[in-house]
Amino acid sequence: MTLVDATVAAGYTVGDFLLLAAAGFTVLAIGMLYRAVKGPTMQDRVLAVNVLGTNTVVILALLAAALSEPTFLDIALVYALLNFLMAIAISKFTVERGGVL
Amino acid sequence: MTGSTLAAPIVAQITAIEASLLAFVVLTALATALARDVLAAVIVFGAYSLGMAALYTFYRAPDVALTEAAISAGVTTVLLVLTLAKTTRIDHDVAFESVNLPAVGAVGLLFGGLLLTMGDVPAVGSPDAPVWSNPDVSQWYLSESYAQTGVENTVMAVLAAFRGFDTFGEAVVVFAGGIAALIVLHREVFA
Amino acid sequence: MSDARPEDDGDAEGAPPHRTRSRSVQLDSERRQGTPYTESQVIMPTVKIVAPFAFTYGLFITFHGSGSPGGGFQGGAIMAAVVFMIAFAFGIEATRDWLANTVVVALAVGGALAFAGIGLVPVARGGAFLQYDLLPIPVKYGLESVEIFGIAAIVSGVLMGLFFLLANGFNSDEGGFGDDDAESDDEERDEPDTPDAGRTTVADGGER
Repeated sequence: MTLVDATVAAGYTVGDFLLLAAAGFTVLAIGMLYRAVKGPTMQDRVLAVNVLGTNTVVILALLAAALSEPTFLDIALVYALLNFLMAIAISKFTVERGGVL
Repeated sequence: MTGSTLAAPIVAQITAIEASLLAFVVLTALATALARDVLAAVIVFGAYSLGMAALYTFYRAPDVALTEAAISAGVTTVLLVLTLAKTTRIDHDVAFESVNLPAVGAVGLLFGGLLLTMGDVPAVGSPDAPVWSNPDVSQWYLSESYAQTGVENTVMAVLAAFRGFDTFGEAVVVFAGGIAALIVLHREVFA
Repeated sequence: MSDARPEDDGDAEGAPPHRTRSRSVQLDSERRQGTPYTESQVIMPTVKIVAPFAFTYGLFITFHGSGSPGGGFQGGAIMAAVVFMIAFAFGIEATRDWLANTVVVALAVGGALAFAGIGLVPVARGGAFLQYDLLPIPVKYGLESVEIFGIAAIVSGVLMGLFFLLANGFNSDEGGFGDDDAESDDEERDEPDTPDAGRTTVADGGER
């Protein structure tokens, strides 16, 4: 009996609440999507997609905990490392329309 | 994997996270298709891959999620941005493409036709699904892959051993893709 | 980055040495404003810190594919992404001079040959293609050698090659697709057949 399977209240386990938290973060991601789609300038979009990436790392970590699969954290780590690459690629493109690439 | 041993309360809550992730994926896909500005479409497509990776993770497909993360966040966005930097980009006043109503009608009809077949598709994670319960394919791989290859990750055992020749073909396709890019861009050296 | 390079021997107005060499394809903004700003004081130190970890993680995913999610394809893509990261931080031209064409081609071709070679050893011993139990090493190591020397090498080599290829753009000198600027740009273009031209000067300045 691991911590994830421990009952908290009314038959719901810790894992259930972790999944619920992941769902909440996904709803937040939909809110952040507004800035990525609307964003008047490209800098807004870069920031939005960067925040979305950080949010996804949290969602993936919560999923790994809720599903009791520690190896799923690998995916969160890869996203944390490569989200940075996505951000610098687009942000350097916004300078001089890619002239600095 | 624990797909078939989910506790009942979790099954009751699957809908919350599934629904939110699916809504996110569908919204990003729509925004990617409709965005008028190409760079905006590329950025929103990056957000789409974030949602898809979380969805794959939730469905206990970590290898696919890892591929989505590595390829989409690391490679596709960079290559698309680099291509945009080498081409001209037009400024648009409107943010979204106008929607072609007859095309939407045709796609909607096709979607409705496909939706009619959904009743016969087994539920997600159902232990009775043929793809899972087939004793000659899925169950045989799951029970035999460690005994025959000594590899814990069944996906890798299937990929590199049981379907090794297919994987060789895929690797050659990747190699041929690089050569095709050389030919298309009229170059003789990569770097 | 105004006067951080006193040893530039004044070949351009404060531009880093690898920027003074003309790019393969010049953009309109570059003609208008001269050599653009390349090195960011934020991106460069961050990449210096992140790149070793990302590369190690790519190696881990490649080598540990048998025990955890991952494998040669994912690990190779992450290792190629590290090269993209370095190229964005230090400039694509500098990275192109640091990572020779020979390395990229050797990775892609060597990977394909290694995969085929590992597959053909059992055939030579009278078995089937990729019949791992006929290899002189345990079956598990046979699978992992295919992932490491075959798939990871092909994927990382081809992806790095695609990156440098797209950064170079279309070669309209020999194409005959009717690029009107091809004649006027000729003296500014690199010769695509001689990638070693000017390599020594860049190797001096690119790393500092």
